[in-house]
Amino acid sequence: MTMFPKLDPILHSELRLAVMSILIGVDEADFTYLKKQTGATSGNLSVQIDKLMAAGYITVEKGFKGKMPHTTCKITTTGQEAFNKYVESLKEYLSASK
Amino acid sequence: MEKSNEQNKEMTAQESLDLISEMLNNNRRCILQNSAKHFILWGALLLVFSIVIYELLHVTRDLRWNLLWFAMPVLGFPLARLLGKKGTVVPQNVISSQLHYIWLAYCAFAVVISIVAMFEMPSCITLLLVALLGFAECSSGLLLKNWPIIIGGFILGVGGAVVAMLVRSEVQLLVFAAGGLVLAATGLIVKRQYQ
Repeated sequence: MTMFPKLDPILHSELRLAVMSILIGVDEADFTYLKKQTGATSGNLSVQIDKLMAAGYITVEKGFKGKMPHTTCKITTTGQEAFNKYVESLKEYLSASK
Repeated sequence: MEKSNEQNKEMTAQESLDLISEMLNNNRRCILQNSAKHFILWGALLLVFSIVIYELLHVTRDLRWNLLWFAMPVLGFPLARLLGKKGTVVPQNVISSQLHYIWLAYCAFAVVISIVAMFEMPSCITLLLVALLGFAECSSGLLLKNWPIIIGGFILGVGGAVVAMLVRSEVQLLVFAAGGLVLAATGLIVKRQYQ
């Protein structure tokens, strides 16, 4: 019987995966951009960003742009490795189910 | 991605891969569309400046009007900055960063060569700048894997250099006007391609 690797529970959630998929392709992205691209609510996005940050997958920098608060997210090396591993696992699942 | 409270749901392997691919594509499209705005801006500026300077030189015969070229980066950079601040801040990816550096390098070459030309007045300045412009355009096309831009850049660089060798100096300014048109057309092509 083939054993499949367990999918990373942090990444195997729609919004967190969407955020990671955006961050993997850019240097860094701000909160407004992530919100626009994912179509998520501010509250939900904040919660999921905190979970990714707690897992060490992203870093979050909070500051101000003029008088407005400005949050920037950046993927970490751990996050990149986890994302690549997750994609490999997905491919294994799919090739086995064919 | 659907706007719903179901965004934290678990997905099948296929749904996950589809989501990753959708996000990557949207991201790439958004970033390259943003780069297109800058091609259009600098193309339009180059077109306007070359026609205005050509007309001023033609009417007054005063070579000092060439100094007006230095107003182009002075006007262009704040406008480009303003364009970047308008709406959502679009992040940079590897391709947009490389495009940015190619054009920044071109700008540095053009400004320094123009300053040197003020003192030495070499007759080949248009040839040099237009060849570099075509090279930057061609390199952008290679990065974007876009044949119309690659060919446009090649024609602009090589064709512009040949025309610059054949025509008298005042008319050479119209070569830059053509360069502005090609640059703006590049922006429009990229914008359309990634819409």
